[in-house]
Amino acid sequence: MNTEGIPPVRELSRRVTQEGIRRYAEAAGDYNPIHLDEEYARTTPFGGTIAHGMLVLAYVSETMTAAFGRDWLASGRLKVRFRAPARPGDTLTVRAEPRRSRQVNGQAAFEYGIECRNERGETLVSGTAEVTVARSV
Amino acid sequence: MTQSDLPSLADLPRGYELPPACFQLSAEDVRRYLNAVEDSSGAYGQGSEGPAWIPPLALAAMALRAIMEQVRLPAGSLHAAQDLEFRRPVPVGASLRSRSRVAQRSEMRGAVVAVVEFDVGEEASPSPAVIGRATVMIPPVEGRS
Repeated sequence: MNTEGIPPVRELSRRVTQEGIRRYAEAAGDYNPIHLDEEYARTTPFGGTIAHGMLVLAYVSETMTAAFGRDWLASGRLKVRFRAPARPGDTLTVRAEPRRSRQVNGQAAFEYGIECRNERGETLVSGTAEVTVARSV
Repeated sequence: MTQSDLPSLADLPRGYELPPACFQLSAEDVRRYLNAVEDSSGAYGQGSEGPAWIPPLALAAMALRAIMEQVRLPAGSLHAAQDLEFRRPVPVGASLRSRSRVAQRSEMRGAVVAVVEFDVGEEASPSPAVIGRATVMIPPVEGRS
C-alpha cells in the first residue's frame, strides 16, 4: 500500500484513572454507574468500573487535532468499534497509521487506521479516521 | 422524571425521533471538558476569555447526553461502535440544538442492537456541525424473549 505523502500522526499515551473518569462524567453529564460506582460495577460482566467510550475517543480525536488542527475540526471523520473497555490503571496508547490518500474535489483526503491499545497490548478501540486538507495528493 | 420513567431505548421503534434538545457550552464548560480529557494542546484557542472553540467530541458527548436524558439504557447496555463526522468548528457560547432518531433496530434472542443517529449544530444554522451514529447493544431482559 502506498502511503507516501500522507502526513504522520504522533502517537499519544494517557493513563486512565478513576478520578479522570469522574471528571469526564461531570464534564459530559454521563453518570452511568458502570463508570463511577465500583460496588455496582463489580456485579457486572466487567467486574469493575470502566472509562466512558467517548473519553477514549477524545484521545483519538486529540491525536488527529494535533496533526491537522482546524482541518480536523472542519472535515474529520471517525468510524470506530469499542472492542474492550478501558479500566482505571490502564495506560492507553493511540496510534494512527497512514492507509491511503485520494483526491476529493481538488483536495487531499488522508485515511488512517486507528487503534487504541492498553499496556497489555489489548486493542480497545479500532477503526478509521479520515481528514480532508486543502492541497493536492 | 426519573430514569425509570423514561422509555427504554430497547423499546423504541426504528424511525422514532426524540425531541430536539437545546443547550449552550460556555468557556468554563469547555475548559472543564478539556481538563477532563487532559487536552492541553491549545487547539481550541486559549485566550484570556478561555477556549474559543468547542471540541467536536464535546459536542458529540452533549448530543449523547441529550439522548440519555430522554431514554433509559437498560443495565448491561454497551456502546459498541461510534461514527462521527465533523463539518465545521463551533464557537463557544453558540446556541446549540441536537436532534436524534433511532435509525436501526434489530433483535436476536431478546438482545437488541439499536443504532441512534444524531446531529448537533448552531440553532441559527440549517446544517449540522457534527453528525454521529452510535451503536448500542442491549442485553435481553429476563423473562422476555
